[in-house]
Amino acid sequence: MTAGDALWWDARLGPKHAPIATRADRFWSWSVLLPLCHIVQRAKRRYCRPLVIWARTDNGRFLRVGMSILIEDYPYLDVAHPGDAHFVWFMSAADAGVLTNEFGLSHPPALARVLLDNAIILSQNAGFKGRMGLHAAVAGGDVLPKVYERCGLLTLPRAAELPPAVRRLNDGRFFYADEAVAEALAAALDASR
Amino acid sequence: MSEFMRLDAKAPATLGAVVEAVTRLSTLSEAKILELVSAGRIAELFPFKPANGQAIPADTVAEDELAEASALRLSRKQRDALIESSLPAAANKKSRAFSKG
Repeated sequence: MTAGDALWWDARLGPKHAPIATRADRFWSWSVLLPLCHIVQRAKRRYCRPLVIWARTDNGRFLRVGMSILIEDYPYLDVAHPGDAHFVWFMSAADAGVLTNEFGLSHPPALARVLLDNAIILSQNAGFKGRMGLHAAVAGGDVLPKVYERCGLLTLPRAAELPPAVRRLNDGRFFYADEAVAEALAAALDASR
Repeated sequence: MSEFMRLDAKAPATLGAVVEAVTRLSTLSEAKILELVSAGRIAELFPFKPANGQAIPADTVAEDELAEASALRLSRKQRDALIESSLPAAANKKSRAFSKG
């Protein structure tokens, strides 16, 4: 993801998403998030991987349809198995209706699964066996956790402790993939790699 | 950090303000920052404002214009390039040539 990608998303999709009250990302500005995430994680001696998902439109050209910012080498959320993982800090999938009606993409892909797959593959390739985690934004209400459940992620029980470096009380909205779940989710998409 | 000094000219932002903002933000959990961003409150904590007038890229590109991101861990050099590409392009500053004769 470059500054141009962030600018495009803010200018072209941001105004379409802003009126959708159920979207957790309706107030996100990727042009601000991008430098913010890099600089905050550098202060914590970690690196971010910002990624863009492109999809083929009906006319054969490619359109930005998903954005994410991952944190590399983040503490694995399951404290019973201490180690490192990747953490999906921010991720946005373009609204399917907007893609179809305004950008000529008749068959939008299942973007949440693809965005999570990016984190799993990067984690596997970094030697973390696919372990990854995320926090479902409170602004996403009751719907967002269900999206992650449907994608196959594990819910970290509300009573579970979090790694000390996470510096946060567990509000029951943390999700993760262990090695087995990550492998199963990655394998399910192998045919399309 | 000097790249992050390209702030809104009307904002009372200085390098000190940026350092202060980053220091404050780095004490917060990622989940807390996610909450603040989702509530539309990040501008209160991070004084960065992209410069106006940047050209918006085209909606679509041809397949051969796409560069596939590496699925492997990046080298330090690649990471630095990634961070650099996250910043808006700076206006080209012409350097003055030597006078002739």
